[in-house]
Amino acid sequence: MRSIWAVATNTIKQALRMKIAAVFIILLIVLLPVMGVAMTGDGTLKGRLQAFISYSLSLTSFLLCLLTIAVSVYSLTSDFEQRQIYTVLTKPIRRFQLLFGKLLGVVLLNTALLVLFSATIYAITIYTPKFSGATKAQLAQLDNEFFTARASLTPAEVDVTDEVLDTYRKLEKSGQLPQGGSRQEIIAELTRRKRLEKRAAVVGRELLWEFHNVKPLDPNQSLFIRFKYDVSVNPPDLHIFSRWIVGDYRQVEYGAKIETPIYTFDRNDLIRTFNEIEVPADAVAEDGYLAIGFFNVPLNNTPVIFSPEDGLEVLYKADTFTANFLRAVSLILFRLVFLACLGILASTFLSFPVAILLCLVVFFTGTISGFIAESFDYLSGNLSNVYSYTIRPVITLLPQFDKFNPAKFLVPARILSWSLLAKAAFSMVCIKAFFLLLLALLIFSYREIAKIII
Amino acid sequence: MEYAIETFSLTKIFSDWWGRNKVYAVDDLNLQIRYNEVFGFLGPNGSGKTTTLKVLLGLLYPTKGKVIVLGGDGSDPKISARIGFLPEESYLYRYLNARETLDFYGRLFGLERQVRKMRIEALLDMVGLKAVANRAVGTFSKGMARRIGLAQALINDPDLLILDEPTTGLDPIGTRQIKDLILELAKRGKTILLCSHLLADVEDVCDRIAILYGGKIQAKGHVRDLLQQTGKRQITTGSISDAAVDRIKQIVQEEHADCVVTSPMDKLETFFIKTVAKAGQQGRPTSGVVSDGTTQISDFLVSQSAEESRRTEILDKLVSAPVSRETSTKHVTAVQAGAVETSETEPQKELLSKLTEPAKPAKSKPVVRSEKVKAEPVVRRTPVGEPQADREQQEQTKKDVLDRLTGNGE
Repeated sequence: MRSIWAVATNTIKQALRMKIAAVFIILLIVLLPVMGVAMTGDGTLKGRLQAFISYSLSLTSFLLCLLTIAVSVYSLTSDFEQRQIYTVLTKPIRRFQLLFGKLLGVVLLNTALLVLFSATIYAITIYTPKFSGATKAQLAQLDNEFFTARASLTPAEVDVTDEVLDTYRKLEKSGQLPQGGSRQEIIAELTRRKRLEKRAAVVGRELLWEFHNVKPLDPNQSLFIRFKYDVSVNPPDLHIFSRWIVGDYRQVEYGAKIETPIYTFDRNDLIRTFNEIEVPADAVAEDGYLAIGFFNVPLNNTPVIFSPEDGLEVLYKADTFTANFLRAVSLILFRLVFLACLGILASTFLSFPVAILLCLVVFFTGTISGFIAESFDYLSGNLSNVYSYTIRPVITLLPQFDKFNPAKFLVPARILSWSLLAKAAFSMVCIKAFFLLLLALLIFSYREIAKIII
Repeated sequence: MEYAIETFSLTKIFSDWWGRNKVYAVDDLNLQIRYNEVFGFLGPNGSGKTTTLKVLLGLLYPTKGKVIVLGGDGSDPKISARIGFLPEESYLYRYLNARETLDFYGRLFGLERQVRKMRIEALLDMVGLKAVANRAVGTFSKGMARRIGLAQALINDPDLLILDEPTTGLDPIGTRQIKDLILELAKRGKTILLCSHLLADVEDVCDRIAILYGGKIQAKGHVRDLLQQTGKRQITTGSISDAAVDRIKQIVQEEHADCVVTSPMDKLETFFIKTVAKAGQQGRPTSGVVSDGTTQISDFLVSQSAEESRRTEILDKLVSAPVSRETSTKHVTAVQAGAVETSETEPQKELLSKLTEPAKPAKSKPVVRSEKVKAEPVVRRTPVGEPQADREQQEQTKKDVLDRLTGNGE
C-alpha cells in the first residue's frame, strides 16, 4: 500500500509540475467567473442560471476529461519512453501496484479539481440571484422551477391490443375491412387510431390519467401539471377552455370518505405551448396514488389531443437542488474514472500519440453514443446477425456520456434519482472501467518492460 | 545457495514483429557470481551485458534458460528489496528534486520515514549533492544525475549491487569515489556486479571478470590470473642513488635479463584530484558537485548494525571459500603497485585487446610509470594510487562520521 501511495503522489506531482494540469486549471479559473457574469440565457434570471449551469458544467466536464486522458496516458508512456520504469520496477513493487498507483493518482487529482470547480459553480449559481436584485415573485419562481429537484411522471401508453383485435374481428365479420391492405397493415392502422383515441378528448368528454408512486418531498408544497395541447381545428383565439380535476379519484368512484382534498381548476390556455398548473401536493393519496382528469368543455369546438412525448407530465419536488447537484457532479466523476482506466489501458501497450488518439476517439464517440447506437440499429435491419455479434457489443462497450449528462438534469431541475446514479456507476465504473483495468493489468503484467534494447 | 547470481544457459533472442528471430543478444550464457564478490562484466557495446542485467532484474524474459538471483526471482519484491540497481543512464523524474527523488525510491522500498530521512541525508552527503538537493534533477548535469542514480541504488542498503556503466559521465573524483565505494562495500560483505567497458575501472576493483562478445562468454576468471605476466618482474623503490641503480642493473644483467630504469610520474587522476581538492579547500564557489577529494561513505552502508553483522556471519558460513581480499593501503609502501605493460605473449591479453577494440582501445589502460626494475614478481592489486597520509586522514574522518551517526541511531 505504501508503494502504491508513493506512485500516486508522484503521479500527482508529475501532472502539476509538468504543467499539464496548470493549463486546464488556469483556463477554468478564468472562464468560470466570466461565464457567471456573461451568460444571459433568455434574459430572465432563471434562463441565465440555466445557461450558466449548463455551460459551466459541460466545460468543466470536457476539460477535466481531456486532462484525465492526458495525465493518465502521459504518466505511464513517459515512464516507458524516458525509462524511469527500469528503476521503478526493479524496486520491490509489483506491476499491478504501479498501475493502481498511477490510477489512484489520476483519480485523486481529478476528484480534487472536480470538487474545487463544482464548488465554484455551485457558489456562483447560489449567489447570483442574491446579487441580481430579483423580486420576491421571481425568487419564488426560481425556488419552484430551478432550485429544486423535480421528479417527473408521464402517463404510460395504454395497452390497446385486445380492443384492436376485437375491432378487427368485428370488421371482418361485417365484411367492412378496408381493401388492398394486409392484415398486419390494417392492424397497425387500427392500433394507431385507437391510441390516438385514448389520448384525445372530443368536446364534452373527459380524459383520466392515474399515477402511482408519487412521492413528494413535502406535502405542503406544490406539484405541477405540465401539459401541451394539440388540436385538430385551431380555435379562433388559439385558446382552449378546460376544467382540470386533481386528487384521489377512487374516493369519487367508490363513494368513500373524503380523506385528501380534490382540486378543480377552470382554465383557458394557449395551444401548442407548455403550460403548468400548480396543485397543492396534499392532493396525493397516502399510498402515492394521484388521478388527473381533463374535461373538454363544450365552449370549445375541437377535440384536444395530448401527444405521447410531451403532452402531459406531472412534476413534483422530490429532492433539494444541492443533493441533485452533488449527484450530477458524481456523474462527471464516473466519466473521469472511466477515462482514467482507458488512458492507463492504452498506455500499457501504445506509445503516447497513439494512446492519446485512441482515448480521444473513444471519448468523442462516447459523447454521441446514443446517436451512434440508433443509427446502427436503424441501418442494420438486413444484417441483424452480423450486426448483433460484431458492432453491437463494441457500441455497448462505449461509455454513454450523453445519456448521463448532468446538464440534462439540472437545467430543467429534474431529479437525478439514486437509482439512475447507481445505474450509471454500475455501467460506467463497475463494468466498463473495471473491464478496461483488468485488461490493462493483464497486458502490463505479462509484457516485457525493456524490449528491443540490447 | 552458493551463488548470489547464477544463470543456466541463458539465451535471449530479440525477434521482429512477425516473430522471426533477429538478434541473439545473449547466447547460452552460464554465469556464477559468488556472494561477497566484485564481479566485472566486460564487453564491447552491444555484446549483451545490459540485456543480461535486464533479464536478471525481470525487465526482460529469457527466451531460453533460467536465472537465479539471491536464491530466487529478481522481480520478486522479497528479492528485489535486497538489490540495488543503477541502470546505464540514470533515468530520473526530471520534475523531482534530488531529495524527493531519493524519498520516492525509499518509499518504494517501504522504508520508515526516519530511516528514509537519515539515509537520504547521508547519501546526499556522500555523493556531494547536499548543496543542490532542492534543485530539480532535470537541471542536473549528466555526472550529477549519475550520482543521484548511484544514491538511489544504495538507499535500501542492498546485499547485491548491480551497476551498469557506473562511471560514465563522472569526473575523475566521482569515478574514484565509486571505485572506493565498491571496494568498501565489498569489504562489508556485499556482492557487486559491475558492468562496464571502461577497463581501468574494472581492473581496479574486480575480483573476477567475464568478457562477453556476441552474447557469449569469451573469457572469465580472476583478474590476477588473467593479467599476470609470468615472464616479467617489477620493483618499485623510494629515492635511491645512481650508484645503487647501477648495482641493481648489474645484478639483473648477471641474471641475463633486460632492465629499464625510469622515474615514476603521477597518474593524471591523482594530479587532478589533488588540484580539485586544493581548490575545494580554498572555498571556491561551484554550482556543481561539492568535493574535497575524499570519499566519505554513508554510515548506514558501512556500519554493521546488529542485524547486518548477523547476516554477514551467516554469509561467511555459507560462502565455503571466502574470497581473499587484500586491501590496498598496506601494500603501497612495500611494493608500490604499478600496472605491468601489456605483453603480446599472453593469449588472454591478446583476446582482451582484440575484443574491446570496437569499444575502447586497450591502450587506454593507465600505466603508472615507476622507477622500474624488472626483477621481482609483483602482485598487481590496488584500488587507486593515493598518498598514504591522505588515506589515513580520510579513514579518521570516516570513523568520526560513523561514530556521530551511530550515536543518532538508525
